[in-house]
Amino acid sequence: MEEQVDTPTAILASAAVLLRERTFDDISYRALADEVGISERTIYRQYPTRAHLLAALSNWIEQTRFPLPPFVTVSDFRAAVHERFRAFDASPAYAYVGARASAISPTLDIEPAYITRAIEAMLDVAAPTLNRRDRRRVAASLRYFSSAMFWARLRTGFDLDAADICDAFDRAVDTVLARLPEATWAPR
Amino acid sequence: MTSPTGTQVAILAAYAELIEELGSDDVSNRVIARRAGIAERTVFRNYPTRVDLLLATAAWIEATIFAREESHSIFDIPLAIRDAMHRYDERPELAHVVAETAMRGVSGAAPSPGRAQLERLLDAEVPSLDPAHRRAVIAALSHLDSVGTWVTYRREFGMDRRDIADAAAWAAEAVLDSIRDRVSP
Repeated sequence: MEEQVDTPTAILASAAVLLRERTFDDISYRALADEVGISERTIYRQYPTRAHLLAALSNWIEQTRFPLPPFVTVSDFRAAVHERFRAFDASPAYAYVGARASAISPTLDIEPAYITRAIEAMLDVAAPTLNRRDRRRVAASLRYFSSAMFWARLRTGFDLDAADICDAFDRAVDTVLARLPEATWAPR
Repeated sequence: MTSPTGTQVAILAAYAELIEELGSDDVSNRVIARRAGIAERTVFRNYPTRVDLLLATAAWIEATIFAREESHSIFDIPLAIRDAMHRYDERPELAHVVAETAMRGVSGAAPSPGRAQLERLLDAEVPSLDPAHRRAVIAALSHLDSVGTWVTYRREFGMDRRDIADAAAWAAEAVLDSIRDRVSP
């Protein structure tokens, strides 16, 4: 490692390297310790269970490999999600870690992901008069269709590539937004 | 999936119980064997690795504890989704295990076990869809009719079981809007 990084980050960076050749389940704390050049105990101190490691690794991958392009409008949101799905396709091993981490029982008090807040903010601007329940229904649907889980399900369960997954995503977004009365939308 | 044998069911049920008591990380084969009333080597013989055991357990949970009533129409799917969300909410630890094993890629569980049934219903009732539209409807409904919905809505929006069931069924109705008036007579 050329740069000086703190131990938790060094562990995650090494785990990401190992992910290129094996699955997360096959990365033992022993192998990870050897890769970083520290003791297994140090890893346990940082990440007491594999669920902690998975959650931290997913966050780190998210920040370094899959940064979310900022969006304000619905069309920017679509473009940002397309870009992410294409990035997932280019690094599937990393994307599956994200999908898995978002499914496990939370290890800590976790904050909603940045994309969740961004979708809510987008709807506040795009549909300012929409009632609260419908707003949450829309936000939750958009969030779930833009997730790594959607990408993973369509890739594994339907054998689709990023272009087809983007198409399925766009159609799902269309059906959700079509439910809102026209008058809800802010003048564009 | 072939049905598990009697011994296997004892192992899977014991593991599922222990997951609810201790979490999936901290359960050794010895503890599972003791709970199931069998020898530890029997666990190994049936499930050589931890991942084998976990995948089999997730499949068993999905087929038994989270089993759903069969829908007879694609337009009944939102109702099935609503029921499923309530069931996941009653067994949160098991719900997380099933959700996670479906997100492991090729080495994991099939992420859309209900796909074939959805296709059957859709083809019988709305046979005129173009392939891309058909695929999008099936994909969206499979995604919504899964434990991932419960996990995401709870975690990202702090919804309780009523709100999750409502929002998930609402989204499924939205997907069905595009085919509601296209049923073959």
